[in-house]
Amino acid sequence: MSTAAPATVVLDPSVCGRRVASSDRSRLPSVLGGDLADIGTAPRLLAVAALNEIRAHADGRPPAFEVFTGAAELFATATLDGESPQEYARRVCHATGLTATAVDQAVADLTAELRALPATTAAELPATGFGDGFDTRWVPRGRVFAAVMASNHPVPNISWAQALFHGYSVLVKPGSRDPFTPARLLAALTAAGLEPSRAAFLPCSREVGEYLLREADRGIIYGGESAVSTWHQRESVAVRGPGRTKALLDTAADDDVIEHLALSASFDGGTRCTNLSAVLTTGAVEEVADRLAERLAKLPSLPATDGAATLLVVNRARAEALREQVAALRASLTDHSARAGEYETVVELVDGSFLLRPVVLSADRAGHPAVGTELPFPFVVVAPWTEADGVEPLRDSLVLNLLTDREELVEAAVREPSVRKVTRGRVLPWTATPGIPHDDNYTQFLLEPKGLVAQR
Amino acid sequence: MSHIIDPEFDSHISKLMAWHFGAETGSPFWLGKLDGLGFDPVAEVQGLADLTRFPDVSAELRSVPAQDLIPRGLADRPFRVYDSGGTTGSPKRIVDSAYRSQVTEWARERLIANGVPADGNWLHLGPSGPHVIGFDTGRYAALGGGIFYTVDLDPRWVKKLLSDGRGEEADSYIQHLLDQAETVLESQDVAVLNTTPPLLEAICARPRLYELVRTKVRAIIWAGTSISRESLKQLDEVFFPAAHVVGVYGNSLMGVAPQRPARPGDAYPSVFEPFPETTRLHLVDEAGEPVAYGERGRVLLHLVSEEMFLPNVLERDTAIRIEPRDGSTVDGLADVQTYRTLDDVAIIEGVY
Repeated sequence: MSTAAPATVVLDPSVCGRRVASSDRSRLPSVLGGDLADIGTAPRLLAVAALNEIRAHADGRPPAFEVFTGAAELFATATLDGESPQEYARRVCHATGLTATAVDQAVADLTAELRALPATTAAELPATGFGDGFDTRWVPRGRVFAAVMASNHPVPNISWAQALFHGYSVLVKPGSRDPFTPARLLAALTAAGLEPSRAAFLPCSREVGEYLLREADRGIIYGGESAVSTWHQRESVAVRGPGRTKALLDTAADDDVIEHLALSASFDGGTRCTNLSAVLTTGAVEEVADRLAERLAKLPSLPATDGAATLLVVNRARAEALREQVAALRASLTDHSARAGEYETVVELVDGSFLLRPVVLSADRAGHPAVGTELPFPFVVVAPWTEADGVEPLRDSLVLNLLTDREELVEAAVREPSVRKVTRGRVLPWTATPGIPHDDNYTQFLLEPKGLVAQR
Repeated sequence: MSHIIDPEFDSHISKLMAWHFGAETGSPFWLGKLDGLGFDPVAEVQGLADLTRFPDVSAELRSVPAQDLIPRGLADRPFRVYDSGGTTGSPKRIVDSAYRSQVTEWARERLIANGVPADGNWLHLGPSGPHVIGFDTGRYAALGGGIFYTVDLDPRWVKKLLSDGRGEEADSYIQHLLDQAETVLESQDVAVLNTTPPLLEAICARPRLYELVRTKVRAIIWAGTSISRESLKQLDEVFFPAAHVVGVYGNSLMGVAPQRPARPGDAYPSVFEPFPETTRLHLVDEAGEPVAYGERGRVLLHLVSEEMFLPNVLERDTAIRIEPRDGSTVDGLADVQTYRTLDDVAIIEGVY
């Protein structure tokens, strides 16, 4: 893959299959420096017009499943709107800093999830036929769906494709750094036969995204705490904020366990909301933290496009902001990465991008405010846990990885409302199969049961 | 300002220095400043270039008794006080007797040149009370023999709600305003709607109200906040293709600057021009020097009328400097945007 500056990509909003060349423009920076793309943005009036048009055509009928299998195939293999799969991968790499390997994996995962939509649906809904004319139909809870996406990873775009699959019409606000994935997914769906009137792609400001969420019948928002905090109480909006994924290490910290924790923290450069953020342990905190830091220090500093790269890169401005934020944390806690020889959070690479090195810190108590701090790269805080701490420090976890034989604690964690998923043993946090919810039953968030009783 | 040549305005300035600094005619406010100026405005201020010698007194307009702003030479006339919106803290006050009426006569001709009907009724969905825009708009309607409908709008309350993070309350207040506009439009004939970009956005999001405006209103005038280029295009081409959409830049201090009629090849969709008899809007850089045509600068106001003298006022806006039309002496302003740091007070752009 060449690192020579390519021609700037131009992307615009699209509404019901129509490109709207917006007069409002914004620049998308490349991790290599300079601009990668020139993005047309949708002001509120364009969003109002798009919403009106989408709603006027929304009939709640699901498209044929072939649209989704066809889109999966096209997304992975076809040139869409002049963009080859290789060019797509390059753009996402240079815009988000994800490694080429991570983007390839994301394409495989996203397309697999498209193909698995019927299986996911079946696994997340109870049986509906009760005999003697008694039946329950699961139907969309509304007509129009809004998705406010983040840019950390391509796979979450499955959420709005799933809404389309169930019959919603959708408006997508792409993440500011990754407009490419939703644009390409929509192009693939349309090429595979999705009615163009079913969707709008609207790069826009946060305020306009919030307008769409308020107006839509159902919606989803991804983002950091400040972006999602106002939406928790709104029943029509699914919130995907920081994951604060944690592990409880209550068994021997052998090499396999350290390897498992390191991979949990660093897979996909640590960008997933399911990447490990904290380890609570009954063992020796300093020793666990040192070994984890040493293991993570072995990950190479390579440009994202290198096949052996695993860590996230960012542009200069973002690197500087993160360096400052992390410096304060490193100074206030025990810095195990520094002890492993990793003094710099940020390393400038030859291609002009800035790589974020893994950081492992330790705190002296489970209740330390740094436990649960989530940053967009491998960042882990290790802290002690004793039986007296109970489930309290394990709360607020998208995934809780329990490496323990304490069955009482496992039961308490499973019953803890703010723990959204529990894994036991050396199971990576994102491990799932259709029917295993990421965070609640998303199919039932989209659909509601309706009684249908027929005369016999 | 040495390289802005404006002889007609120079002689106007020269004439009014004698008025504003004459013991019998000047205002107590300006006469009280005379000793501290360090120069004799009557003898030394010959024109535009000399106005920058005056201090920017606009901050004092927040506290000076408004009575003191009235020129003694006009003491027998009735005056009213108007406030700035309060975007940047406590309001600045101006006094007005007949001046704004004169400006609105001129501005109305400019609006008509942009396609605003010369007759018909007006709906003002914007501030009134202490805000001079309400008076101006009422004058436009009256000059054309139209009826003037109003809906009360308190822009300071909206700004307070927004700055307190009470966005939902601000939205319900806006819906309350729109309910009233809808009531007017349901049964009354309205040819011209005068409002703001955020309220136009809110109108377009309410199907019934939008239909009423689209089918009844022949011209929409927007003012009060900035608008993005695509938003303007959406208003003009998508939402109200049959109506004339006309922008007016302005504030309580400088008055109104309606857009000049668009011409093919214009680089900007709206180019604003102030009242040439009394007002100059220069776009200046950090050093106070005029920027080149096509460049962005901060708005520097010089207002020289018989009733008010406001030289050298650095405004909260920036804009692109545009060359005057043939036969005009005033520069145009395009793509007006709020200047983001001013006296360390966070600027909240509300619905007005």
